[in-house]
Amino acid sequence: MITIKNLVKRYDDLLALDHIDLSVGKGVIFGLLGPNGAGKTTLVSILNGLTGFQEGEIEIFGLPLEQEPAAIRKRCAFIPQALALYENLSVIENLRFFAGIQKITGADLRHNLDYAISVNRLQPMLKQKAGTLSGGQKRRLNIAIGLLNNPEILYFDEPTVGIDPDGRNEILETIRNFKNDAKTVIYTSHYMPEIEKLCDEVAIIDRGRIIRQGLLETMLQEEKTDSVVIELLSSNSAQLHELVQKLEDVEVIDAATLVMQQQNSTKMGALLAALAAENITLKEIRYGTTNLESLFIRLTSSSHEGSDV
Amino acid sequence: MFKAMLIKEFILVWRDKYALAALFIMPSVFILIMSVALKDTFNRERTLLNYAVIDQDQSLQSSKMRIFLADNRALQEQHVTISGAAERQRALHENLHFVLTIAQGFSESYTQMEPEGSKLQLYAAADVRPEMLSLFKAEIALGVTRLRIEKMKTELAPYLPELVQELEAIDFHGEGLVNVRFNALAADEKPTSTQQSVPSWIVFGMFFIIIPMSTIFISERKQNTLMRMSAMNISIPALFAGKIVPYMVINQIQVWLMIAVGIFVVPFFGADALTLGRSISGLFMVSLGLSLAAIGTSVLIAVTVATVEQATTIGGIINILLGAIGGIMVPKFYMPSSMQELANLSPMSWGLEGFLDIFLRGFGPEAVVVDSLKLAGFGAGLLLLAGIVFSYKIRRGI
Repeated sequence: MITIKNLVKRYDDLLALDHIDLSVGKGVIFGLLGPNGAGKTTLVSILNGLTGFQEGEIEIFGLPLEQEPAAIRKRCAFIPQALALYENLSVIENLRFFAGIQKITGADLRHNLDYAISVNRLQPMLKQKAGTLSGGQKRRLNIAIGLLNNPEILYFDEPTVGIDPDGRNEILETIRNFKNDAKTVIYTSHYMPEIEKLCDEVAIIDRGRIIRQGLLETMLQEEKTDSVVIELLSSNSAQLHELVQKLEDVEVIDAATLVMQQQNSTKMGALLAALAAENITLKEIRYGTTNLESLFIRLTSSSHEGSDV
Repeated sequence: MFKAMLIKEFILVWRDKYALAALFIMPSVFILIMSVALKDTFNRERTLLNYAVIDQDQSLQSSKMRIFLADNRALQEQHVTISGAAERQRALHENLHFVLTIAQGFSESYTQMEPEGSKLQLYAAADVRPEMLSLFKAEIALGVTRLRIEKMKTELAPYLPELVQELEAIDFHGEGLVNVRFNALAADEKPTSTQQSVPSWIVFGMFFIIIPMSTIFISERKQNTLMRMSAMNISIPALFAGKIVPYMVINQIQVWLMIAVGIFVVPFFGADALTLGRSISGLFMVSLGLSLAAIGTSVLIAVTVATVEQATTIGGIINILLGAIGGIMVPKFYMPSSMQELANLSPMSWGLEGFLDIFLRGFGPEAVVVDSLKLAGFGAGLLLLAGIVFSYKIRRGI
């Protein structure tokens, strides 16, 4: 459905996307994961034809993006991070306006409006001004606007920023249901638990490069090792680095995370004793499992180390 | 697509009470105030000058001189007692334009032509306009001439009665002698303050769309609705067209609302009602040109500045400056020639001249073609420039 080959995007001297290759199939919820400034929004902007690029090829629905941007955009929807709606218009006025400028009329308009309203549970607030909605309701309206053209691909750029956990769960539930309608979702976020809950496939992007991509489940399975992750409540990076010099097989991931490469009770005992001696409190010890967060931390920190050399 | 944009812009403006006030109420109130305030400007019956006479001669001739001066309805004698230089100076400072002293011996000397023999001394207030001084001096000269003709009549009556009869028939103020007809107006029509002020404030009011239009555009830019529209296949020309069409309609509503105020509301406040002139098509040409100029200015401001606050401030300043330069606040005929040339650079001046051609001078559409094209060209140029700036900013992700 989406094929990206050797994509390069530069802003003057800044290399925003560095030879990206990516492929996304139909009906997949695809997570684009990366820290702030990694290039996620740039990539989504390019896929929506909002920003140009210098090198590479992009095909969507089998059509080249550079030659057929209008035909492609007609079948896609972009739900931006900012609430791209009119606060002084009511919910239904917003929906009718965005449908109107896309020339959606007649039966299509009725059908698509009903779909957008029901999926996002907006029926009770149709006549309410958008400016008076709660943060979560505004986010749902933001999504509903994206559904008006009944898109086959939906691009979500950090859609849960700034809303409470209940609102976030509602939105994730809504997006998860798009899978039932055979819609493809590209979901960018730096919230790892969201991606883990939602996505089938993931690409981890850092400093404009894709450092890992594939099925989320496979990725986590492959990462599953004998390692032990030790999460700490309080410490500092310098203190940890000093501490691990005296220990074998222990690495510092960040100021609150250590990894022991192989389970070993003697070594673990020594580590715990050293932590106790330094008055460092434990938060959690995980044996033999890898979550996306630790995978992400490991990958991005090794990517940074590599680039430092 | 345009229908959706039209409805959206209308709702946004309708729900913004400050925009409504700036677009419709403010110019209507201006029209009302200025028409009423200036209603006497074109009234030939009104008093222009107040003066007092100190009659030290107390003769038949000095009394007649006072009567002759009072014949002119633009002059109003104030009967005050002035008994010294200090009182005269105070009176000229407070409410009098002139004090005329008719010295003793005037009745014997008024036939002399030499200034040194004159018994008339005129004191003028320091702020009297030169043309008013000329008017009053001419009126005094006329009074003296009439006295001399009266003397001649008395002396000639026994010898030339026919000539005396002819002299009796002279109309010194030319009421029956000169028939005044104003250019392009009907015989019984006169220019009015309403015909002068309505065009000015229509032009000024139309340019006030700068504020709501640019602030809405910047909000759309900031909230990413413009980006969303781009992702929905709305091109920059279509986006601009979607702004131009609704605001042209809003401008037309403004024009006709203000004309309606001039026709129906202004007369309730004692000023003359507005008459439409003879060219509705000319009116449309000028107002559409003005719309394009105002919209071009608005869009350029909207794509150039960063915040709504900047747009409001800069938009307001540009509007007032264009109005001041363009003869809205001070009519061009009051300006010195260098300022009049500067005024000709303001699009508001082109629009005002176009409207005055229709409302005041009664011309047809052919008279406003050049001004309308200049306005449309100015607007199109600014829109093109705005398009270039906006495309650049989009490409740069600004």
